[in-house]
Amino acid sequence: MTKTNGIHIEGMNRRSMLRSSVAGSLLLSGITECLALDDSGPLSPKTTHFPAQAKNVIFLFMTGGVSHIDTFDPKPALHRDHGKEIVADHPEIKERPGYERIYLKQPQWEFSPHGESGIEVSTLFPHVANCVDDLAIIRSMHTSHSNHYNATLGMHTGSFSVSRPSIGSWITHGMGTVNQNLPGFVVIAPRQTYAGTQVYSNDFLPAVNQGTLVVPGTEPVANVSPRLPKDKQRLELDALQAINALHANSRRNTAALNARMKSFETAYGMQQAVPDAFDFSKESKETLESYAVDINSTTGFGWQCLAARRLVERGVRFVELIDTGSSGNWDAHGDMMTHVALAKNVDQPIGALIKDLKQRGMLEDTLVVWTTEFGRTPFNNTADAKGREHHPWAFTSWLAGAGVKKGITYGETDEHGLRSMVDKVHVHDFHATILHLLGFDHEKLTYRHAGRDYRLTDVEGSVVKGILS
Amino acid sequence: MIFYLPKFVANDKHWRPHVGIRYLFYFLVPYMLTCTSLHADEFFEKKVRPLLVAKCYQCHAGTKTSGGLALDTKEGWAKGGESGAAIVPGDIEASLLIDAINYKGLEMPPADEGGKLTSDEIAILTFWVKNGAVDPRITGQHIGGMSRAEAKSWWAYQPVSPIDQADSPELIDIYINRRLQQHGLEAQDLSTRRELIRRATYDLTGLPPTYEEVVTFQQDPSPHAFRKVVDRLLASDEYGEHWGRHWLDVIRYADTAGENSDRPLPHAWRYRNWVIQSINQDIAFTDFVQQQLAGDLRPLGESTDHKNDGIIATGYLAVSRRYGHDINKDIHLMHEDVIDNVGKAFLGMTIGCARCHDHKYDPITANDYYAIYGIFSSTNFSFPGCEPIPQPSDLIPLTYVGEQAREYETYLAAKARYDANRPNNPETIQNLKDLAAPSLTLLATANVGQNGNEKLEVHLGDNRIHRIKKDEVLQLRINRNGNYGADTTGIRLNIQNKQDPEKNWSSQELIALIDSDSPFIEVRGARWAFLDPTNGPKYLVTKRLEIGGHAALKGWAFGDNPSFYANTSNTTVSAWTTLPPQTLFTHPGPNEDAAIAWICPEDGEYEISGHVLDGHRGAGDGVTFYIEHIQSAVFGNGLAKLGNANGNLTPPTPLIPPVAYAVTEGTVADAPLQIRGDPEQPGDNVQRRWLEVFGGTPLTNPQDSGRLELAHWVTAHPLFARVLANRIWQWHFGSGIVSTSNDFGSRGAAPTHPQLLEFLAGQVIANGYQLKPLHRLIMQSDAYQRSSHGSELANTEDPSNQLLSHFTPRRLSAEEIRDSLLLVSKELDTQPGQHHPFPPETSWNFSQHAPFNAVYATNKRSVYMMVQRQRRHPFLALFDGPDPNASTPVRGQTTVPTQALYFLNDEFFHSSANLTATIILASERSATTIEEIYQLLFQRMPTAAETDITLNFVNSYDGTNKQKWQAITRVLLSSNEFLYVD
Repeated sequence: MTKTNGIHIEGMNRRSMLRSSVAGSLLLSGITECLALDDSGPLSPKTTHFPAQAKNVIFLFMTGGVSHIDTFDPKPALHRDHGKEIVADHPEIKERPGYERIYLKQPQWEFSPHGESGIEVSTLFPHVANCVDDLAIIRSMHTSHSNHYNATLGMHTGSFSVSRPSIGSWITHGMGTVNQNLPGFVVIAPRQTYAGTQVYSNDFLPAVNQGTLVVPGTEPVANVSPRLPKDKQRLELDALQAINALHANSRRNTAALNARMKSFETAYGMQQAVPDAFDFSKESKETLESYAVDINSTTGFGWQCLAARRLVERGVRFVELIDTGSSGNWDAHGDMMTHVALAKNVDQPIGALIKDLKQRGMLEDTLVVWTTEFGRTPFNNTADAKGREHHPWAFTSWLAGAGVKKGITYGETDEHGLRSMVDKVHVHDFHATILHLLGFDHEKLTYRHAGRDYRLTDVEGSVVKGILS
Repeated sequence: MIFYLPKFVANDKHWRPHVGIRYLFYFLVPYMLTCTSLHADEFFEKKVRPLLVAKCYQCHAGTKTSGGLALDTKEGWAKGGESGAAIVPGDIEASLLIDAINYKGLEMPPADEGGKLTSDEIAILTFWVKNGAVDPRITGQHIGGMSRAEAKSWWAYQPVSPIDQADSPELIDIYINRRLQQHGLEAQDLSTRRELIRRATYDLTGLPPTYEEVVTFQQDPSPHAFRKVVDRLLASDEYGEHWGRHWLDVIRYADTAGENSDRPLPHAWRYRNWVIQSINQDIAFTDFVQQQLAGDLRPLGESTDHKNDGIIATGYLAVSRRYGHDINKDIHLMHEDVIDNVGKAFLGMTIGCARCHDHKYDPITANDYYAIYGIFSSTNFSFPGCEPIPQPSDLIPLTYVGEQAREYETYLAAKARYDANRPNNPETIQNLKDLAAPSLTLLATANVGQNGNEKLEVHLGDNRIHRIKKDEVLQLRINRNGNYGADTTGIRLNIQNKQDPEKNWSSQELIALIDSDSPFIEVRGARWAFLDPTNGPKYLVTKRLEIGGHAALKGWAFGDNPSFYANTSNTTVSAWTTLPPQTLFTHPGPNEDAAIAWICPEDGEYEISGHVLDGHRGAGDGVTFYIEHIQSAVFGNGLAKLGNANGNLTPPTPLIPPVAYAVTEGTVADAPLQIRGDPEQPGDNVQRRWLEVFGGTPLTNPQDSGRLELAHWVTAHPLFARVLANRIWQWHFGSGIVSTSNDFGSRGAAPTHPQLLEFLAGQVIANGYQLKPLHRLIMQSDAYQRSSHGSELANTEDPSNQLLSHFTPRRLSAEEIRDSLLLVSKELDTQPGQHHPFPPETSWNFSQHAPFNAVYATNKRSVYMMVQRQRRHPFLALFDGPDPNASTPVRGQTTVPTQALYFLNDEFFHSSANLTATIILASERSATTIEEIYQLLFQRMPTAAETDITLNFVNSYDGTNKQKWQAITRVLLSSNEFLYVD
């Protein structure tokens, strides 16, 4: 907020140059009045249902469907029963030629216990494994659809078919945000994932809650790079505000007009604040190395993770990082070995992010969520098939940080990782839990639209109390 | 009824034997903490009903009453099943349902229907029964969520009172002013003429007036001056573009299907343009809506145009959103989208809410939903394609009209000629093949090895001079040997009449003639043919005007090869091999030989010479040539005839058949109710009929889908006129008399001026459902013409200006912003848009991994922009554009900093502003530059203060004259005055 103030003061000084040429004190008072900071904007911080443990969320979305049985859900029985035929009424094999018979297929990576908790993680995630004592790993996730599009939409909006507001939109709608120079909900994604812009859409919630897309690269936010030198832009802005003030002074109900005048000052600040958030030049060499960030590059998941920390530091409420896009992702039908490069891409940055947040004390009020849209089948139509198929019946997600138990696993799948069995957690339950951590009763965070009260969890969901600290 | 939970838990003794109190306590604790006074009905709606629906209805609802027990009504459980009453309110010991869910005696739900309920769920039902089993679901007395009595008297369903007053705008003001007086508010004075014409012009056309139009109006002494302005605007094409857009908002128009790969809808634009055209023609809104539901069944006239329009209008149904990977598997969601929109758009009813269960608040049942569902599932919708079924189908053919019809006739004639002579007619080829075989004599053959150059005369030996009769054929045939590839072969065939030295032919002459109309070339009476001899004689009809990017290489082929081609230039071409100048080549196909045939012009002795050489040195295994004589004049004549026919090689360019993305009648059948909205769980068939609350009229013609009858039911209902009157009012004033213009039900807002709404609905009917008389009426009212400057009192007492003491100023819509920028920069293309530049359907391979995604640049009005469902147009999304996935009854008017960033830095905005300034500087002006700018942007002269600010700015701004004026134009185009309408 100090930045905003600074700009205002600077602007006012410049504006005084205009004083002699315009209607003097009357105009100036108009400007001052309409630019006075007020906290009544649609995104100003709001009170939650009960005290929030998490103030911010970093939502790490691994797109394509990460195999749970090769990463965070060890299944020794799969080795024993490799090649054994099973029968399952599975959505991905129904009426699918060549899938009349299916066989168990063993994991391709070794698991070993880590940390004091001794939680087993596979060799795909060595850096995350190092942080395992900070994680609450949910091994009993399940979802309602076996298609990428629908499952991705479901994980983001709670709806598996029609468009609904994204979880980030619900949260900014419910909580507001603390830095008015930055959007409250930012999505950093190199490419679009399944279901396109719907995954970060505000849908029927007010537009101010829509996710702002950041595409790693030279201009992360559309139109944020000044097209003019700063001094000229300021001059134009001052003239604009003077013209607007004349216009407003001849009217009585000027709330909307003043809000728009104010939005220009905010936008002016964003031109500085947004690039600042993405300018890593003041980060230490150690930090950059820990995230595996090349200072000369503005892409890569390390860049995304470090950007996420910097945005949260600046008060952005909800930051989602999508690792890839709707192709070239974790969707390993053809070959599970593609998981190696994808895990390598995210593992070190995620480990660094958790350690960095912890070290800075930010993990106390930041919730880190790691998830995917569904798991991958522990079977295939031959045991030696290289890939695995979509698997909505079971997958693993984890939470870390504010309000979450440290170093635990929650829920279980059956011995082959086929079905969630113990303490099942549906996507709706997952959402209810995230909202709970942010201080919301998921049944009461509603929005009246088209004659009905809508919520993120539709008509379902219950809080997973077992992972709350 | 209020529950005080802590007391209840503490006092109750009956709990222990039943459910683990521990679980109950877990469940109840949050309620004690957060909602100690949860109303019984609310508890039922929030907790009990969803549970019954999810876990019990499958076997105990509707006509499915296992064991005689129905759990979907209060009577159902009170009467109970074979074992007696299922629930005794207040007495959990006596309630069999409680025993059954605890698996005591009966075990419900049984293991194969989901198994035992969770402890939380058991606790909910136990708690509910214990506390009296309050259940609002009483059969007979309710329809859906409303009692019959309430539904019968619901204000919005009552007949519209006939108009007994003359249609006078003063009546509007009587209704408005009466309420203002009641609240002690005063109506504002009328706005200035400039404000009024700017308001009216944006209102009716979405564009600003010109300065000249403003001045003309200001100076018009006629008492009908404003009426003239309104009439002029209503007669403009821009009116339909702007008010058509309002309608497209309501029916959530988009140019893509919305399923997982978001396929383009290349023909949807016809519906969009039909909407614009119909609004401009001011066809009765009853007709307008009936056409959209059933125009294919009953067009507005018998002409071809009318019939086409009727089909196109049903594009309303076809543009419904599609869902999922395989659309057909999620077709129930498309039907929900249709029913939802039909309900909201035409009737202000949320029928779509009754998909999974009866409406909770309005008199709409799930049976109603499936009665309407059957009408649409009996309809065949155009299929947009989807990932597993890529190509669109079931597009509805239209009939060509006017100039197009004449073009089509011409095309059909050309097509008939082409078909009659179609290349390589298979029957002809077979005849020729049969003729050739018995009359073929091999004169010579030889292998041409690597780097070989075989002279024909050497291998012909005694056959070097050979007798050939008129119309017999001499043929040089090339075979690929073992490998296909690298078989580029140089050929030369010379034929010399021994009796007459003047009569000689050479294949070298064909190099200059290779660019002829067909692979059949006449030279001095003889005819040459390029053939595939393996599959016929089949002409190599694919003309090559360049090969591998080399324009000098031209020839004839069938597919890639076999082929004959020439380096027509005088220089060597270096391509895949070195091709010397003025050389004829051939390349046999993978399975087909290549042959050059010569049809003899007259009987005689002919000397044959020439060569066959390896044209791709150092690769491959060479070729074999055969010199063959086909001693059949019938064959030669037949070959010539086929060649002549193939002279007409280019098929006439097919006219793109006009098709509509629309609907037709499908397989007619009632649809089953889907339990919990799940198509995998069909219940009983529901007869197609009108909504129960409106009488439940069955179809007169059940052999039809029922769309036509539905169209009449919908448009004849009083809701139709009310909802329409309210929308028209809303689009003029920014807010409806009923602010929830898509919901006139019990959850919608009450009308702020009920009598006014009644009056307007009566006017709609009295004016034959035409919009233009309503516009004239409303715009003549003082309420419309008032100043937008609200009083202090009004701003405090009525901040949202529901009582209309003044006109509510508004921000321009996304489309208005863009169109205005295009207009002032003189970039606006006012011609109507048609189809979008989508890639051709044959090239589509969109998937959920790589969905269709495009933004097409256009300078046409924004209503013609391509809008996608899965990816919102960035500009439209930024400025509260319509939701392409759901009905948008009212546009948002948000103010966010990213919009300001657009004005600060967007390229389109900057270029529009710069262009505007440049045009003004270059124009022949009588006024000063700043006056010109104000006239163009704001349709007025600048004030002294404004002139001071702008000139001061211009003078202090560092840059060229042009740069200075571009800067101030940016400032003024960013200003609130440009963006807001008073």
